[in-house]
Amino acid sequence: MMHIPNIARPAKRSLSILFVAVAGLGLAGCDDSGGDPKMQIGANPELPKLQQYLIPPIRIAKAVGWGKDETPTVPQGLQIHALATGFQHPRSLYVLPNGDVLVVESNGPKAPIFRPKDVITGWVQWFAGAKAKDANRITLLRDTNGDGIPEVRSVFLDNLNSPFGVALVGHDLYVANTDGIVRYPYQEGQTSITAPGTKLTDLPGGPIDHHWTKTLIASPDGSKLYVGVGSNSNITENGIQAEYERAAVWEVDRASGAHRIFASGLRNPTGLAWEPESHKLWAVVNERDEIGPDLVPDYLTSVRDGGFYGWPYSYYGQHLDPRVEPQRPDLVAKAIVPDYALSSHVAPLGVAMYNDTELPANYRGGAFVGEHGSWDRTPLNGYKVVFVPFSGGQPSGPAQDVVTGFLDANNHARGRPVGLAVDRTGGLLIADDVGDTVWRVSSGSPSKPAS
Amino acid sequence: MQRHTGITGTTFISYANPTSTATPRGQPIHEMLTPFAAAYFTGAFVTDLAYWQTADVLWERFSIWLIVAGLVMAGLAIVAGVFDLASGRQINKPILPRALCYALAVLLSLINAFVHSRDGYTAVVPTGLTLSGLVVVIVLLMGLMGSTSAYRHHTGADT
Repeated sequence: MMHIPNIARPAKRSLSILFVAVAGLGLAGCDDSGGDPKMQIGANPELPKLQQYLIPPIRIAKAVGWGKDETPTVPQGLQIHALATGFQHPRSLYVLPNGDVLVVESNGPKAPIFRPKDVITGWVQWFAGAKAKDANRITLLRDTNGDGIPEVRSVFLDNLNSPFGVALVGHDLYVANTDGIVRYPYQEGQTSITAPGTKLTDLPGGPIDHHWTKTLIASPDGSKLYVGVGSNSNITENGIQAEYERAAVWEVDRASGAHRIFASGLRNPTGLAWEPESHKLWAVVNERDEIGPDLVPDYLTSVRDGGFYGWPYSYYGQHLDPRVEPQRPDLVAKAIVPDYALSSHVAPLGVAMYNDTELPANYRGGAFVGEHGSWDRTPLNGYKVVFVPFSGGQPSGPAQDVVTGFLDANNHARGRPVGLAVDRTGGLLIADDVGDTVWRVSSGSPSKPAS
Repeated sequence: MQRHTGITGTTFISYANPTSTATPRGQPIHEMLTPFAAAYFTGAFVTDLAYWQTADVLWERFSIWLIVAGLVMAGLAIVAGVFDLASGRQINKPILPRALCYALAVLLSLINAFVHSRDGYTAVVPTGLTLSGLVVVIVLLMGLMGSTSAYRHHTGADT
């Protein structure tokens, strides 16, 4: 009997060696740092070789919120202040013709648990402050005297379903809930809408609804609505049938509600804007995860009618993604290379083309992009608002940091920028869904009166 | 020894001369738990094959849950094994080859759980499927190497 433990001991030792080996494999997955994001900004991003992980890197900024009197940082010549605080996960912004600002307070529907991994993802999101209760409402702010402090704050629309996009055409106000576009009657000066909405069209919603935000923009003539509909997965892990009419920009006829796919292969087009010079539609798009800290760069691109931009089969043109089976060489062959890379995992969730005069002249004609920030990359990337200069309807230079300081010295997130809008007087508004604040960036000259 | 007769019952085993070789200190608990993991891991190989053939994500989801369930049971078996050693319960020989095989199967399945947590086709093909297949081979080897304590040691037989 006494010899038994002696036999067992080598077995136990072997076990511990094996477990150390496993731990080592895991660490190897986490230890992988991304390169300089500057190499992935612009028309020709460096694209490293694709990697697949045992444990994909997770690097999130703990949400801590803003301290008293703390604000994001802006360069000289600009100033920033909180237009209003105390929101519940503000995601997007819309400015009405009379200057009233609509703040969409929203969060996604509860994600289903399909795999053990989904449980882990839930914890990660909670840690990052992304699990706030869905307020499902739109709040109106009115700054009558132009002093940058709203005198009126009211619940504009309530009981919505994970809303994101808003667009006004004449007296028709459209709200893009996660599962459909609803039209409400709106009269200028209204501070709340109590009239029931009318559904214009369904949009792809649950039960999975992986990318739930539906961004919305009206065509300049008001006849069409364009809707950004994100994919239902990272890379088709919920089945290709779950992606029906997703990862696309829809064109919805405003009169009939009929839709067609305007462009596809756009994994998660979260922001749409009209480029002021060429009058073309542009989008910010969130690309795929888990193939490396520098893959795949998120991007800003013009959206061509009938264009296919790669997802899920390929990225940046013809770079194949082996995680998709069966492949579609016919689609890959015509995949368009996006116009302008913003670097990897920055999560651009808002875009605003600036065509106003309040901010310094160098911002005129370019695009502001709200980068919500990375969760799967070391070092962190994004967590700022950048400016992409445009010339002749095309990006014309490297992106410049405009609003920073969302991360503190410990790399904790005081806030995270999401939707952007330009207000009636030309200030840049930023929704911050971790700081629960709407920030306003204006010209640095403090004496300048609001128009 | 009479107190052990209730554990497995004598009715399942009828040998000519049944004599229990289980120790007075009690039957090893971990041996009751180890087959669960083997069964779950084998199931995962079957669902992996189904995914490989159909590319239907439902099969991949079955696989990952089966692997995780197998790992949970293996974890319990390992805890029980440590307890058995510590409490001086009878560990059946030959322990070393079987323990190594078991450890290897669990290790490969742990790696496999991470592979199966990838998104898309490469969660299974080719690495996940290969690992699942290897684990089944190891489980079969273990089956050839030794059988249950009840069979070999006539646990539960009257002494």
